[in-house]
Amino acid sequence: MQHLTWTSDLNLGIDVIDGQHRLIADNLNRLADAKKKGDTAAIAEVFEQTSDYALFHFGFEESLLEEAGYGLLDTHRKAHNVFIVQVHALQLRFRTGEDCVEALHTLLASWLFNHIRKEDRAYVDAVKAYLGATHH
Amino acid sequence: MAYLKWSSELDTGIDVIDGQHRRIVDYVNQLHDARERNNKDAIAEVIESTVEYTLSHFGFEESLMEDAGYALSKPHKRVHELFVKRVADLQMRFRAGEDISGELHGLLSRWLVNHIRNDDHDYVESVKRNMQRLTRETHEGGWLSRSLGRFFGGHR
Repeated sequence: MQHLTWTSDLNLGIDVIDGQHRLIADNLNRLADAKKKGDTAAIAEVFEQTSDYALFHFGFEESLLEEAGYGLLDTHRKAHNVFIVQVHALQLRFRTGEDCVEALHTLLASWLFNHIRKEDRAYVDAVKAYLGATHH
Repeated sequence: MAYLKWSSELDTGIDVIDGQHRRIVDYVNQLHDARERNNKDAIAEVIESTVEYTLSHFGFEESLMEDAGYALSKPHKRVHELFVKRVADLQMRFRAGEDISGELHGLLSRWLVNHIRNDDHDYVESVKRNMQRLTRETHEGGWLSRSLGRFFGGHR
């Protein structure tokens, strides 16, 4: 597993969201380190971090999209919910002793490169218009 | 999980907020100590104090953000609500006799640092600008002690 460097094409230009998204890259790198060392506690920690990320980041983002009146909010929320279910299912398998490192890595990487780069990018104009209008 | 150490990247530069954040970090470390000593009463007490103080802090912080017209107040508040719900759930399990202190300590250590470093930093510019305006307009910053009194009562 290669270490991942955050590249500017992953930024949406909404600082607080970009900062939250970086946690996915951090988790990918932590996972690669944990696998190399065979550190099960560290892998468990990445699962916990990922669940926290899903709860708090998705909550923040969905609230922002509601405020901005984003038209594709329902579809977006569904994508978030699918991710939550997938992570949870993997975490359960991990707790029963299964080696789920590769599967979690694949899930996080595809989230970063597909969801953030495509589905998240699609809301940028709506959110920026909203933030521009409410900015004091 | 290790002790939380304050680092300058956690400073928002808003003294009253930094003071509150430092106090929450102290509580998280007290929870760590109580767990090391395996002292159930101390664990129960520190959980109560941490939750109570954090709720007051959220209320105070939300009023600062809203007063400042910070554009992302609502999403920020949503995250606080989610956190409160998650912690209330842990507290309920604790009262039912389950040892959730490790889970709570983990959540606080992971989430708090990320939240302060990223989400809180985002409101700093708006809030600072508004605080300067209020301090100029009302002498001696009396509004600040009024706000603090509203959320923290006698103990700040």
